Amino acid sequence: MSDPIEEPSAAATQYLSFQLAAQEYALGILRVKEIIEYDTVTPVPGAPPWVRGVFNLRGSVVPVVDLTVKLHLPPATLTRRSCIVVVEAHRAGETIVLGLLADAIGQVLDLGPEDVLRPPSFGTPVHADYLLGLGRLATDARFVLLLDIDRVLNAQEIALALAAPPASGERG
Amino acid sequence: MTPELQQVHAIFLVEAEEQLATLERELLALERSPGPEVLRAVFRTVHTFKGGAASVGHPEAAELAHTLEDLLTLVETRAVVLHAGLGSLLLQAVDALRERVGLSATGDSTLSLPAAEVQDLLANLVKAARPVGGAPLERAPEPPAPTEPESPAAPEQAPEHTLRVGLSRLDRMLDLTGEIAIARGRLATMLSQAHRYTPQQLLEAHHEGDRLHLDLQELVMKVRMVPIGRTLQPFARAVRDLALRLEKQVRWEVSGEDVEVDTTVAELLRDPLTHLVRNAVDHGLETPERRRARGKAPTGTLSVRAFHEAGTLVIQVADDGAGLDRERILSRARAVGLLGAEAPSDDDTLLRLILEPGFSTAAHVTELSGRGVGLDVVKRNVEALRGTLQVESTPGQGTTFHLRLPLTLSIIEGFSVAVGNETYVIPLEHVHECVELPDAERQPGRTGMIQLRGTALPYLRLREHFGLGGGPPARESLVVIGQGRGQAGLAVDALLGQGQTVIKPLGTFCQGLPGLSGSTLLGDGRVALILDVPALLQQTVKSPNPAASA
Repeated sequence: MSDPIEEPSAAATQYLSFQLAAQEYALGILRVKEIIEYDTVTPVPGAPPWVRGVFNLRGSVVPVVDLTVKLHLPPATLTRRSCIVVVEAHRAGETIVLGLLADAIGQVLDLGPEDVLRPPSFGTPVHADYLLGLGRLATDARFVLLLDIDRVLNAQEIALALAAPPASGERG
Repeated sequence: MTPELQQVHAIFLVEAEEQLATLERELLALERSPGPEVLRAVFRTVHTFKGGAASVGHPEAAELAHTLEDLLTLVETRAVVLHAGLGSLLLQAVDALRERVGLSATGDSTLSLPAAEVQDLLANLVKAARPVGGAPLERAPEPPAPTEPESPAAPEQAPEHTLRVGLSRLDRMLDLTGEIAIARGRLATMLSQAHRYTPQQLLEAHHEGDRLHLDLQELVMKVRMVPIGRTLQPFARAVRDLALRLEKQVRWEVSGEDVEVDTTVAELLRDPLTHLVRNAVDHGLETPERRRARGKAPTGTLSVRAFHEAGTLVIQVADDGAGLDRERILSRARAVGLLGAEAPSDDDTLLRLILEPGFSTAAHVTELSGRGVGLDVVKRNVEALRGTLQVESTPGQGTTFHLRLPLTLSIIEGFSVAVGNETYVIPLEHVHECVELPDAERQPGRTGMIQLRGTALPYLRLREHFGLGGGPPARESLVVIGQGRGQAGLAVDALLGQGQTVIKPLGTFCQGLPGLSGSTLLGDGRVALILDVPALLQQTVKSPNPAASA
């Protein structure tokens, strides 16, 4: 797609980076609510495969999304540094709180609009549609992938719906 | 609108809704037994509403209320006689008032007129019947006109659900939270110097806070309870309008209006009740001629009775109409293949048939007993409330629907079981008994069948059904679950016992999964899933039985 990079990404200057399958990703910091240690997650039979389960976030039951499954990356291995990034995402007009399983937490990055590049159409581990852009770090010439969490969640829905067409003919 | 004005408007809407509901009830009472007392009450309500409407900037609503008052004055001075037509007009005026302030009507939509038309009708009536002698009723001074008429347009968002709570109850809540804070503080102090106390003493201190917390929980639950009468009230109007349109005579009787139920339950009851009431008037009750021909009083009775029974709410919707037409239902069921030729025809079977979604397609409604429009909706709603629906019907004598519902949706009594590392909660009302799985059934497999006191009981092994992995333990237990007459077993690793379960919704990604109805938090902070027994029963019955072929 040749859209210009969206407004919010240009305006937001702080990102939280985290490790996922040996690659550094980042999310707009305004979306991140908190970071917690990975603890017991209750598996939910019948849930989409990328939902690792649900956990108790101070009294609310919150789903944990395994991005490695969702983005078709090498599977995550749980370590002592594994954690859950609790984020706010928008899906079908509602705001939902969910946890993202990450291998490790990185740092808070300050990126000006000029540091955010349009993602290349190939060569990234995840599809360019799922990215807000590429963050260029001035300090050590690294790139981080700026994830568009809303698109990640919504796009998969379409794929799922295609894979399993709804049961037909309830009413004859 | 400024936020402050918006707030004032929201409060007005809540009050207006109540006032107009009261007005409707009073007008219906006036129609049944006209008297100066009732009329005075009607006046008071209209007047209060008028004042409120004028002060928040609804001049048209105030105007309409004013005309209504004029007309009521004529009724009081007997310059106008109150007949059924006028009664309808007065009720339509209530709907018009609702329209003017941006609330939705409760009456039969096919009978309602636009507000402007109602206003004209009222005004014409007032003009036509000028009082000759009697002095008009004295009026209180007009409320001050709004200084700056704000846009009287419909509100942008639906009014928030609110609940009035007695101040004394709130005070008690505040007291309790204070006491809990003190108890917690004491416990924290003791724990920080735990070596100075015995575990017994610490536990004692903890229990103290526990008791207070339970008191608070009970109080909060109580505050959420509302009388069911408020939910039932709009039906008086609906029944009247519907009966008028269908040219039937219906007496509407309600008992148990004071019975309290959780506000969410009351809210969710509205839909199923609407269907049951409409069905009863439309299809259950006969026309006056038909009733006379059958030797019954021309006026039919439709009664709703609410009462508490064994920790549940029971609502009975009873009519003394024609009853379910067994033969027609059965022959139709056989025609569409829902029933074998020799199947029994008790009430439960009939109910099951008329609740089938496809069973009551529009073309067959009138030919059949007529029951059916929307009944599958009733069933769905009642099941969503974790309730049950039963029917009793005597030909020629009438039909009674029994709805049995939990008093609250947020806490249930649950029975916990363990499979591997996971804990699952089964609503206790669906647990019939627990037995040990016989040794002969110890081979793996998703489903199987055992003999329970001479009858065959299919069962589902939860570990394999949910794909949890891991090997079975040395001993497996079987929880016999059931709903209605259906029964099945759930094979689990261990039985953990019963306890209060606070229900938490599962959230966007995990909602509506087969076999799960929600989740709850365990004492150690983990999440446990609550099983959906009706769905599991269905899955057990439907799945092929590998044990039989093995």
